[in-house]
Amino acid sequence: MWLSSMLYIRRKAKMNPKEQRSIGNDKIRTVIMTAITGGAFGLLYGYGFEISLWLGVLIGALFGAAVGFRISKRPPRMEYPMAIFHRIMMAATFLLLTSFGYSYLLDQNLNQTQQYWAAALPLLGWSILVVSIGLAIASLDEMQRRIQTEAIAIGFAGTAIFVGGYALFQFAGLPEVNVGLVLLAMSGFWLAGKLWTLWRYR
Amino acid sequence: MEIPVRSRLKVLRAERDWSQAQLAEVLGVSRQTINAIETGKYDPSLPLAFKMAKLFERSIEDIFLPDEVEEN
Repeated sequence: MWLSSMLYIRRKAKMNPKEQRSIGNDKIRTVIMTAITGGAFGLLYGYGFEISLWLGVLIGALFGAAVGFRISKRPPRMEYPMAIFHRIMMAATFLLLTSFGYSYLLDQNLNQTQQYWAAALPLLGWSILVVSIGLAIASLDEMQRRIQTEAIAIGFAGTAIFVGGYALFQFAGLPEVNVGLVLLAMSGFWLAGKLWTLWRYR
Repeated sequence: MEIPVRSRLKVLRAERDWSQAQLAEVLGVSRQTINAIETGKYDPSLPLAFKMAKLFERSIEDIFLPDEVEEN
């Protein structure tokens, strides 16, 4: 039957040494990509916390490489081509570098107009990251897309409740909400939503 | 009202001695999707159901049936 022969051909293709080399290269690429992203993260935080930039880059790159090594050893349960993951890592690196550029430029005694341009720099990084995540979601299969959509909906609703609820406490005397805290809450609610939907469709 | 749907996917797959991963590969979906369909936690889209019907050389109604209908 055509299906059996198709599966046989695919299995044979997987045994091809060229394919094996390609998988090996994919793993190395994953480690390199995560190391670069980690390095960019270290650069931003090294600058922000006024420690040595080289030390920040080194620690970040080592941490990123370790994460990449772990991922390449045992990829996440939800299967997707690693090329998509590499694209997201590249976008995240670009965002971190533009954020570093923004922080650096703001410390350089720029005039008001130049400061506005510098502030717009990370927005370019955010846009590229959002597009790469959107492309990654579009390339998932229908159930994985549903899982992501439900996780994003839970993340959105959770963040709305968090911000709205915090506003009430703010009127009662709490300090103004930090944007970083809102982003953290958004990520946390999205992760909780994803775990919940993964558990539902397990 | 939502009608619960039962699938004969697991039986059809077992008859052919295919693993979930093999079926997933041919249908172009993840293994988790096949597992969720088999356990009744996820109902596939119409295009995916047509793909399955074509693969198993059956009609969609032979693979998916409302839960109250007795299997022949």
